[in-house]
Amino acid sequence: MSNSLRPYLAAVRSTLTAAMTLENFSSQVVERHNKPEVEARATPEALLNPLVISRNENERVLIEPSINSIRLSIKIKQADEIERILCHKFTRFMMMRAENFIILRRKPVSGYDISFLITNFHSETMLKHKLVDFIIQFMEEVDKEISEMKLSLNARARIVAESYLTTFD
Amino acid sequence: MNNWRRIDIDAYDEDVVHETDLYDPDPRDPATVANDAKQKATQVRSLISRGDIPAALAAVLTDAPYGSQFEDAKNVSLSAVLLILNSTKSTDIPGIVKGLSQDEQDTLMKYLYKGMASQGTEVNGSVLLGWHEKLTEVAGTGCIVRVMTDRRTV
Repeated sequence: MSNSLRPYLAAVRSTLTAAMTLENFSSQVVERHNKPEVEARATPEALLNPLVISRNENERVLIEPSINSIRLSIKIKQADEIERILCHKFTRFMMMRAENFIILRRKPVSGYDISFLITNFHSETMLKHKLVDFIIQFMEEVDKEISEMKLSLNARARIVAESYLTTFD
Repeated sequence: MNNWRRIDIDAYDEDVVHETDLYDPDPRDPATVANDAKQKATQVRSLISRGDIPAALAAVLTDAPYGSQFEDAKNVSLSAVLLILNSTKSTDIPGIVKGLSQDEQDTLMKYLYKGMASQGTEVNGSVLLGWHEKLTEVAGTGCIVRVMTDRRTV
């Protein structure tokens, strides 16, 4: 792991651990409803201060805590056009299957590439530290995955171009 | 009135909670607070040039301006804090952080998050992350929880 990635992930881990103090909280507006307050935004006293952790201007994590839910949004590093396309395809693929990932949100928060929504029901049925580990592991893997895909895409493009151009020799 | 279904009737409720009800506003006058912040910034600069980082940090972290009416003072204080953070050697950080009181640690943590949120040209992400790591080691996750729950944002 590179030198500047480690403190970044450590900061995300500690902030997420601190935010993972969720409890059941029924809606104060509609009787017998139970909504994630961070999405409903109906009661300001149930929302906590959103926190941003940034490594540089292209890599950021936004953590929006509330009494019964956390929204965590990640901006993934995109250095060039290919990485932007790959990142878009990759996050789209996952978000279309969001129900299989349970805590994944179907749409990212604007300005970010992928969002997770953790409610008190998730933190009750799953282990909290494992949820944190999952997010951290996802952040580690996604950079690796995208740079690997970029390499194999470039290699493939080179082979295709070579074999195509040999016919014009 | 063709969009009457979209009117938020809860906003007209008599016991509705506003953002401003959630914390006690700072009673000081915005102009004096801005002046204080500027004086502190010059004080911080002279302390840094003498190499007295702990005193500079303590000066800027006591009575930090909070609330929505002090935007100028808040920006001045933030850049003073960032100046201190950038001019500290990374080996000195743990000692300095240990010397702060709990309130000062919380305020420093607020400034770290604010600095990361306002990612500009003067801000170096790795410096802030290094400070964040050291501060979390000393003050624990409770410090982060206090930053999240405290409505008095710097």
